[in-house]
Amino acid sequence: MFRKVLIANRGEIAVRVMRTLREMGIPSVAVFSDVDRTSLHVRMADEAEYVGAAPSSESYLRADRILAAAQKHGAEAIHPGYGFLSENADFAEACENAGIAFIGPSAHSIRAMGSKTAARQTATAAGAPVVPGTDHAVGLPGARAFAAAHGYPILLKAVAGGGGKGMRTVAREDELESAFRNAASEAQHSFKNPDVYVEKLIERPRHIEIQLIGDRHGNMVHLGERECSIQRRHQKVIEECPSPLVALHPQMRKEMGAVAIRAARAAGYYNAGTVEYLVDQDRRFYFLEMNTRLQVEHPVTELVTGLDLVRLQIEIAAGARLPFAQKDVTYRGWAMECRVYAEDPYHDFLPSPGKLTRLTRPLGPGIRLDGCVYDGWTVPMEYDPLLAKLAVWAGNREEATERLIRALREYDVGGIRTNIGFFRQILEDPEFRSAQLHTAFIDEFLARRKTLQPPADVEAVAALAAALYTQSRRPEGASRSVRTSAWLAEGRGDLLR
Amino acid sequence: MTLDIILYGREHRLELLAGVPACRFRLSGGPERAAHVVAPVPGIYSVLMDGLVYDVWVEEAVSGLVIVIDGYRFEAGVCDPRRYSRQSRNRGPEGIQGLRAPMPGKVVRVLAAPGDAVEAGQGVIVVEAMKMQNELKAPRAGRVLSIAVKEGAIVAAGDVLATIE
Repeated sequence: MFRKVLIANRGEIAVRVMRTLREMGIPSVAVFSDVDRTSLHVRMADEAEYVGAAPSSESYLRADRILAAAQKHGAEAIHPGYGFLSENADFAEACENAGIAFIGPSAHSIRAMGSKTAARQTATAAGAPVVPGTDHAVGLPGARAFAAAHGYPILLKAVAGGGGKGMRTVAREDELESAFRNAASEAQHSFKNPDVYVEKLIERPRHIEIQLIGDRHGNMVHLGERECSIQRRHQKVIEECPSPLVALHPQMRKEMGAVAIRAARAAGYYNAGTVEYLVDQDRRFYFLEMNTRLQVEHPVTELVTGLDLVRLQIEIAAGARLPFAQKDVTYRGWAMECRVYAEDPYHDFLPSPGKLTRLTRPLGPGIRLDGCVYDGWTVPMEYDPLLAKLAVWAGNREEATERLIRALREYDVGGIRTNIGFFRQILEDPEFRSAQLHTAFIDEFLARRKTLQPPADVEAVAALAAALYTQSRRPEGASRSVRTSAWLAEGRGDLLR
Repeated sequence: MTLDIILYGREHRLELLAGVPACRFRLSGGPERAAHVVAPVPGIYSVLMDGLVYDVWVEEAVSGLVIVIDGYRFEAGVCDPRRYSRQSRNRGPEGIQGLRAPMPGKVVRVLAAPGDAVEAGQGVIVVEAMKMQNELKAPRAGRVLSIAVKEGAIVAAGDVLATIE
């Protein structure tokens, strides 16, 4: 087993990986930028190394500095987490060339699944169903010809894309030209590559993905599915395991799992990976892409299968065989997770970095909280706004939902805005409760939700608290101060808006 | 003490007749009410009123106070009627309007210079935080009076970045 592991990441995932390393008795090395010296992943680590300035291009994306840090500290392996260098084949190769194990798949597999078009070709060759599309970059005439053959609506996507950047829906012929221009320019801006390809748009699809784990000896199993249909701006915000749809149709798990394993094997895959599918309203599933790393939402799989995916990743990277077969994988109960972001859901989800002045975490039965925040910490403005993943486990979906609502009610983060209150509204929505999930759920929810009026007594208590707080900050008899003029704001009706 | 409190755009007049812990108050001329209030942590109040417990979280925001009770979220403006006359905070007496940073971040682009004429909705300054860019737009047609920041500047939420008349 490795004697020391460096974590080439920050935030909650660095903390998550460190926890398992500590349980395995392996010292961890953190890396940090200028603004992360006080971050929890550095405080928790056994060793740490400074790797550069705040922008990630000067620190967490600097493969050379991260490798040098690993060598300086004598780390025998590097865990890349997600994001940053985790799906960078050149980095995986550089690690192996330097004699340091990359805790993930081979550079070859990352390349085979790296771009969306390469992944489509690999998957198609392995017999995976894919959404009808062009398979390669096209110009405007090619996009027009595809739409003529398959009909509108279509979807334009960046070849090098991810996270919804460079993606455009086109409902009609006359929208195509400007949408194509915008997609290409956004792709160029985000990925330095303007190439765009075309797919048939699946309307109101579900996003369901299969977790895979395989060793370097040819063994591979799937660990069931996760449903991640609740997204905003093409980013997942609520994930659950199992999928409510698959739970009703268990043969889907078998089929999607078998196809995922075939596609991954075609790429020579080992370690943890995820095959993402879109599922249409007739329950047909289509290969979307493969993520060649640990997923953000892996805790829901861990809660239901009872496995520690990070431990398995590390053991496999060290050469171990998978310690179980497909028939040994069992699923128990229901897990649901929400991603707590430093953002203001009441003002267009604008980011809200800053200092945490108060923190009360949810506790009690069935709660798992993977976070990187502490009271008094300043959330930096340079990175992703993910503060924590709040996951719960319970016997079934109804109980898991109620438990998550209960946990959210206990969760108080002061000083910055978060989406904690917003989750509660979604979880109480009747369509969410009846599992009518699809990727446009939040957009439709925002359009249909009504302002809830609080009970009159709650309003009275709010007014009383406002008065007491004001009084405590402005002792009776004090003269008019400049600071209090900031309170001359118009009150806004932001209640569960 | 008497305070005017604005919740959901509705104004309430709160007369505080007795302070913590045995509070008595009257809301908008209604009946006198009693509540037992303790503050175990600054900004957190445990309110016991008519036998019911309310855990209340209060903090200051750019726009006033944010109060969360049981998942209900209120934004409140508070003013003391004896001391203040109300005015909108962004609009000065001569029709000068400030463009405020909606979030803490870094100024990545300045799209207009002092003296420029701007249309309503025209972008003036772009602020970036956490990989997301936000364009501050002119709220109405006018002329840029001043630009208070340069590209690369770090700004706090609520900072006035430009003024338009």
